[in-house]
Amino acid sequence: MNLSPSTEKLISSLFGVSSTQLDQVIGSAIHKRFGFCDIYLQAGTTQSMSWDQGVMKRPSTSIVKGAGVRVVIGDKQGYSYTDHVNVTNLKRAAKTARAIADHTSEVPPQALLEAHEAGVPHNLYDIGATPIDVDLLAKMNLMRNIDQVARAYDPRIKNVTVSVSVQDHTVVIANSFGDVIVDKRPLIHLSVVCLAEENGRKEQGKSGGGGRHEFEFFTDSDRWKKHAETAAREAINMLSAIDAPSGEMTVVLGPGWPGVLIHEAVGHGLEGDFNRKGTSAFSKMMGERVASPLCTIVDDGVLPGRRGSLNVDDEGTPTQQTVLIEKGILKGYMQDRMNANLMGQRSTGNCRRESYQHVPMPRMRNTYLAGGQSTPEEIIRSVKYGIYATSFPGGQVDITNGNFTFSTSGAYLIEDGKLTRAIKGATLIGNGPEAMQKVSMVGNDMCLDEGIGSCGKAGQTVPVGVGMPTVRIDDVTVGGTGN
Amino acid sequence: MNKTQQRLESLAAFVVSKARQYGATDCEVSVNEYESVEVGVRLGEVEELNGAQGRGLRFRALVGQKSASTNTSDLTRASVARMVKKTVELARESEGDEFAGLPEAHLFAKSLPELDLFDPSLDKVDINTKIEMAKKAEAAARAADPRIVNSNGGGFSDSRGLVVFANSRGFVGSYAGTSCSLNAGVLASENDGPMQSGGWSSSSRTFAGLDTPEAIGAEAARRALRHLGARKVKTQEVPVVFDPIMAARLLAQFVGAASGTHVYRRSSFLAGKVGEIVAAKDLVIVDDPTMKGALGSRPFDGEGLPVCRRLIVEDGKLQTYLIDSYAGRKLGMTPNSDSVGNLHIQAGKHSPAEIIGSIKNGLYLTAVSGPGFNSVTGDYSMGATGIWIENGELAYPVEKITVASNVLDMMKGIEMIGSDLVFRSSTVAPTLKINKMMVSGK
Repeated sequence: MNLSPSTEKLISSLFGVSSTQLDQVIGSAIHKRFGFCDIYLQAGTTQSMSWDQGVMKRPSTSIVKGAGVRVVIGDKQGYSYTDHVNVTNLKRAAKTARAIADHTSEVPPQALLEAHEAGVPHNLYDIGATPIDVDLLAKMNLMRNIDQVARAYDPRIKNVTVSVSVQDHTVVIANSFGDVIVDKRPLIHLSVVCLAEENGRKEQGKSGGGGRHEFEFFTDSDRWKKHAETAAREAINMLSAIDAPSGEMTVVLGPGWPGVLIHEAVGHGLEGDFNRKGTSAFSKMMGERVASPLCTIVDDGVLPGRRGSLNVDDEGTPTQQTVLIEKGILKGYMQDRMNANLMGQRSTGNCRRESYQHVPMPRMRNTYLAGGQSTPEEIIRSVKYGIYATSFPGGQVDITNGNFTFSTSGAYLIEDGKLTRAIKGATLIGNGPEAMQKVSMVGNDMCLDEGIGSCGKAGQTVPVGVGMPTVRIDDVTVGGTGN
Repeated sequence: MNKTQQRLESLAAFVVSKARQYGATDCEVSVNEYESVEVGVRLGEVEELNGAQGRGLRFRALVGQKSASTNTSDLTRASVARMVKKTVELARESEGDEFAGLPEAHLFAKSLPELDLFDPSLDKVDINTKIEMAKKAEAAARAADPRIVNSNGGGFSDSRGLVVFANSRGFVGSYAGTSCSLNAGVLASENDGPMQSGGWSSSSRTFAGLDTPEAIGAEAARRALRHLGARKVKTQEVPVVFDPIMAARLLAQFVGAASGTHVYRRSSFLAGKVGEIVAAKDLVIVDDPTMKGALGSRPFDGEGLPVCRRLIVEDGKLQTYLIDSYAGRKLGMTPNSDSVGNLHIQAGKHSPAEIIGSIKNGLYLTAVSGPGFNSVTGDYSMGATGIWIENGELAYPVEKITVASNVLDMMKGIEMIGSDLVFRSSTVAPTLKINKMMVSGK
């Protein structure tokens, strides 16, 4: 390993080990005949605080420092981590990870990982000053101001809950090909929840945003104010919401965050591990039509400052813009090294993990449906009866059969081409490949969400982005209580 | 007292004394250490082998009414001292909250019950036995039927850990615990049609308490196979039977809304409902963290408060909120712990067959998906999978439908309670029949 003095110094100051020692640990983990090993070291701080009922709740700090050692042999892997990084503990973790070799017979050479040009890490984050170091007072003032603006929006706003979280993590990835990659990752997040109350009825409205930015992102162009007002408006609108209808109908999704649909209906099913194992509804469909020709779907890791963007993935591979579906045809999977290799492909820079305590796997970054031709007005006008949904707490998918659900929290009835009444939250359910065939109009207003998404898979949570333009989908089942 | 416990208690005492030295007026600290092993097999071969030794510390400092907290895994004395100092400084910079503080000294648990949470025999189970069990569970599932076409694998995991909790008001408590789990998951398909997955697991504090690999595998296969050929039904209002897993999930959502934090924020459909009818009149909801050897048991709660068996709903009436010391001061009530353990609905007198038999046209619910529960209003709308009931019998599988209602209406509409209560996790319920819900489909 030939590292720049500054990198060597960073590793030593954060973890108290040298690159030569990391090399020794990797050497102790590699089986003499085969295998790949990497060490993922992570150190950093997350600070979070919240505001509720007009007062600040205690600030809470989470200090993370540790390392995970992984040994990969063909389609098998061993993993172990330590919360106390030193050479002894790393070697003990390596020994545990290496035990996978005892349960592995000879592996065909083509199943073994090969070194390839790692490429140059991107420079996607806006990090002048770490958001951790911003004064507590500035963070408190932000929350107080949001509380005031939201309450001033309407006297029926009875409570405002604000949460702010700022993070600064450094990861070092060293592997048995001799790569040593460092990535310093900031992440900030703001969430506003308003509770409105009238005649005993209570409703909530939510908004939020963030990304890989400095703290000032929240105050630039009065972003905080927009979130305060959006949350307040949604809560007030919901006070007069009627029961959501039930049954199959046309659904129009607004731009941005409703891209959760793409994440659930398509994204998860195109992760490399499920397809390698043949357990996804999209398995063996490469090159086939899986969506309407209006649909081009991309998973993009290189959008500057976005919550799901990364300079390198958690195996040190630079991220990229990966086309998953082009004009309705399945073009690509999201891959990490292991699954790509076993499928005769290259990593797409989609390998991620929650922390050093977790095994890495293929995950999404920023997943979106690309923009089309129609104007949003045209799309709404085209619907005789249906719903228009803009706000979603989230969704879920069953990879195996492709059935997905996602739930609206702010939606409106469309009657004769016009938005009429607000409706209560309801779950929308469908089948990924089927629903994507029924996308009948795609708007020209594509945008990404404000930076609030988190994705769960196999018990691990990672930050992601989603996006879409206004979209019309026919025959979606809406699970309201109304007739 | 063993060495680990001594070492962690001494670290906790160090934290409390440092906190005082740096000017904290009150503080609490919990320290834990654990070891875990996870084995994954797929298609008869070992696929994943994970082992970890972890530790962590959580610390909360108060300076008057101001507070701050930190958690860290860096437990060297020097790092811990620095962390304590920084946390106290952060508390000082923070804003005061008149309701902040530790529980009153007289409220802490005095004697800690012995709950049999640790199985020393787990340590003697070698890795090959664990691998064999995972393989057997997967093999049993795959062998169950030719329509089982693929596998999500089998797995065994276990962990042993020790927790110490101490505060500046003199409470010190600790307990050790073990847990283990065995699972299998497979995919079924018929005539190259769509795949359906099914999985099952068994969890226990003791190795001997696990179900056999054969039983777990057979159940995983059954759960995949029974959804083959699932179809969509028409939109209609019908009675819905919640299987025990779905009933437990509904129970957790319902009781979550009784948390004192939601109540003082008025962000719950149960706020203001103590003493009122919130469920069918024969429904009893019990919280009992003192059950010996059970997965949800513990000798004291997260603030050092004592735990005991309590009724949350009796005669259909909400008996209490779940109140921590902060919510207690907000609501002017005595804290009674905001956490639950071995939460359950008391078993009723009907067999599941009898419950299904009582329905002419309805849904037997086996899975729900999505975040469609609103704890402010109680509105409930979830994606659903299940088996349609016709003339008192399970007739055919259904999917891509939703079930919707309001949780208060659902709890009040419980018409039959099953006799099939099994403590297979820390929140459990028997089969429940709900008189009507809106099912959306075609």
